[in-house]
Amino acid sequence: MGRDLKLENLTKRYGRLTAVDHVNLEIHEGEFICFLGPSGCGKTTVLRMITGFETVTEGKIIFDGRVINDLLPKKREFGIVFQSYALFPNMTVEENIAFGLKMRKMPKKVIAERVDVMLDLIGLSGWRKLYPAQLSGGQQQRVALVRALAPDPQVLLLDEPLSALDAKIRLRLRAEIKRLQQELKKTMIHVTHDQEEALSIADRVVVMEGGQFRQVGRPIEIYKNPSCRFVADFVGTSNFFEGRRTDDIVDLGKRKIKIAQNGSGINEAVSLSIRPEHVEVFKKGEPSAVDEPLNLVPGRIEVVVFQGAAVRLLIEIDGDEIIADINEKEFEQRSLKRGNEIFLYFPPEAFLVFAEGEGKT
Amino acid sequence: MKPIEPSRKPFSTWFSADNIFTGLITAFLLVILVFFLLYPVVVICRLSFLKDGFFTLQNYLEYFSEPRIFRSFYNSMFVSLVTMVITTVLAFLFAYGLTRTTLPGKGFFYMVSTLPLIAPTIIQALALILLFGRNGVITRYLLDTSWNIYGATGIIVGEILYCFPNALFILYTTLSAVDTRLDEAAQSLGASALKTFFKVTLPSAKYGIASAAALTFNLTITDFGIPVVIGGDYSVLATEIVNKVFGMQRFDLGATISVILLIPSITAFAINYYLTRKSYAMISGQARPFIQPSRPLKKWAFTAYSVFICSCILLVFVTVFLGSFVKTWPYDFSLTLKHFDFPSLGASVPIWTAFWNRVLEPGSLRDMIAIKYAPIWTSLLVSLVVAVVGASMTLVAAYIIEKKKPRGEQLLYALSVLPAAIPGVVLGLGYVLAFNKPYFLIYGTIWIIIINVVIANFTLGVLSGTANLKQIDKSVEEAAVSLGAGPVTTFTKIVFPLSKVAFLSTTTFFFMRAMTTISAVLFLVSAQIKLAAIEIIFLDVDGRTASANAMCTVVVLIVGIFLLIMRLTTGSSGLSGMSSSK
Repeated sequence: MGRDLKLENLTKRYGRLTAVDHVNLEIHEGEFICFLGPSGCGKTTVLRMITGFETVTEGKIIFDGRVINDLLPKKREFGIVFQSYALFPNMTVEENIAFGLKMRKMPKKVIAERVDVMLDLIGLSGWRKLYPAQLSGGQQQRVALVRALAPDPQVLLLDEPLSALDAKIRLRLRAEIKRLQQELKKTMIHVTHDQEEALSIADRVVVMEGGQFRQVGRPIEIYKNPSCRFVADFVGTSNFFEGRRTDDIVDLGKRKIKIAQNGSGINEAVSLSIRPEHVEVFKKGEPSAVDEPLNLVPGRIEVVVFQGAAVRLLIEIDGDEIIADINEKEFEQRSLKRGNEIFLYFPPEAFLVFAEGEGKT
Repeated sequence: MKPIEPSRKPFSTWFSADNIFTGLITAFLLVILVFFLLYPVVVICRLSFLKDGFFTLQNYLEYFSEPRIFRSFYNSMFVSLVTMVITTVLAFLFAYGLTRTTLPGKGFFYMVSTLPLIAPTIIQALALILLFGRNGVITRYLLDTSWNIYGATGIIVGEILYCFPNALFILYTTLSAVDTRLDEAAQSLGASALKTFFKVTLPSAKYGIASAAALTFNLTITDFGIPVVIGGDYSVLATEIVNKVFGMQRFDLGATISVILLIPSITAFAINYYLTRKSYAMISGQARPFIQPSRPLKKWAFTAYSVFICSCILLVFVTVFLGSFVKTWPYDFSLTLKHFDFPSLGASVPIWTAFWNRVLEPGSLRDMIAIKYAPIWTSLLVSLVVAVVGASMTLVAAYIIEKKKPRGEQLLYALSVLPAAIPGVVLGLGYVLAFNKPYFLIYGTIWIIIINVVIANFTLGVLSGTANLKQIDKSVEEAAVSLGAGPVTTFTKIVFPLSKVAFLSTTTFFFMRAMTTISAVLFLVSAQIKLAAIEIIFLDVDGRTASANAMCTVVVLIVGIFLLIMRLTTGSSGLSGMSSSK
């Protein structure tokens, strides 16, 4: 094992409020971990405890086999990238990057070389003499990134580094961070509330809610196999139904739906979720040879949202709204329009089933 | 594999160098504030309630039973309330013109309106006497009337001119921060311009208006300079305190009146403080400075009004300047420098005497500069020290309060804000009562004056410091720490450079206050230690009005030169943000 970072029963309480509740995680050297969750879920608090800016109420943070709970932030030698960039406005790009190296009292020549390498890494060599205020947001965050990397930290912590940026720049910088991580093989811990960002960038994603880890796993697992209703809802888009299951039939009140899994009990309360891309749409009169006629439901297209490659339809059935995504080509060919009466088909095997207590059955 | 536990126990984090450092500085500041702010006030209260070691209300009975003395309370309230109403209305209109209309020359108007801050408060009174006094150029020469401005009228007009920039600063900030789109929304919904003004503009500025009013009241009721010069027989609380102490040696009565003065002054300050916070909380980040072009009538009306106000303010300065250069006001207007040949004012502080003895040959020039100008050099020395010490101390205090938040932070904050609530005369008297002891070695030196001025103006320094530090993102400091910087490096390399503009403007503020303050140091000057601003009063009381004008001119010039130097060397800071508004 390399220089792993381990969280053991890590807990943070502010008075009676528990912000982080006994969480456990092992982060391997060179891994890219993303903490994902809505605001107030405790993800930033976990990060700040790792940085040392927040004290630990209970539990341990172990790095490289040593408990570092009480180690001062500057002794931890972790690099941090902040949401607000936090560049020193009174220093040039160059001086910002050199700051951490100077604090470590490195020789001038080494510092100059290192700064050059860092500037090359982000392609801002020509901007070295400028002040942060003269750079765009994306450039500032890139400088902040290499400023944190310059002293070669053991771990790089990124606290919502992209949230303050424009959508386009965010995508570009996201790719750049990923590239840097793969090149430098540095352990990185990234905090974000943007599920798309988390799924696209991380080796493993930790989904948080209410101070607890709801699911830890590879992005694809999180998306395809959410462990609970919260994860299914928070990561990606899902349609939800509440009902009562007997065998493989779920009674939604207004209608019954067949699912692929058998339950154990009779009349057991469950919620079903299905991703929009799994919902199939048929125009009235189109051949609709489906395996399970029970799951064919009439509805009407209320809203059409063009999303580029896909088209999102909001469809009313039984007074509820269902989201279905179909690809743009198909949408054109079948000339679907707002107001069309259509059939929706829910393949039984596409449903995820969660028992009332939130866990998956 | 079991992880290695650190050998030291958790308190090691608390016991870090950073915390010891913060703790020591906090303790130091607390001791200073308790000893030089709280203790003198406590001494005053004790003296007013105690007689021969027993609690008694006798002093208060004596005060309230003698109608002539009690009158000073009534007078103070009357003068302050009238000043408050008039100043607030005038300043609001002025601020409205500057922020909501497209009148030309806004920068010039704003600059002129802040001029009163660079002069001792006495300047307004001196000018009014030259214009409307017994020998006033207007009353005697132009109108040939026996009416003159001494008394309540003079105090009120003087205080209005003096308080104007302070009230204006609050109202200007309020009005420029309130979103003008609200006005536009109201008008787009069909409200007339007048209705929009009364239903939208005025209510949205209500906290600012009330806080400007409270500040004006506080400044007026605590002022000593204007009433002592122009008040004549019209006694107010501040002059009554000095009268009792200097005239009758009745320290107990002086203390009693001080306590009575503290009540309205602290109340007004608390209201101002509370409302200012509330007013700033209402400021939306959305405020948009774009203003539609004003209709011609509105534009010219506000321009005329601004010209009028600025002329009044400029007239004060011009009059006092002229008054110090003409032979015999208002009969002989030929120019002379003789009023600048001040009567022999006595000793100088040793450091200056030594300095002049070294650079100048013995003779009348050296006598004049070393002896007759002694109070000016003392003032300059005091002001320079106050500027550096005051700005540094308040910046450090603001840093501790805003960023470090140690234990006792709230007490430190409360004590830092308190000085503005305490009238200068009261604090000065407190110093005499508390520190006039043989074992208290710095009493009677310039150091007690320096400490007094720093403490008396602590509030604004700390408030402007915290306001500035609030703008420094907490992450910037955390970034420095995470990159390996210690507390001292973080402060010197990051926090201080980022606070430089605020620091320089606080420096200027402390310098101006030290040069121009009268009430706070009145009790602390002596035959050996004299200050220029105080000499203005003594010269005036001695009947040397022209020399008083000349001394006032010198003080204004010194402050002006200082401002100019600051501006040229640092390229920053006009007068904005330096009024005593909290």
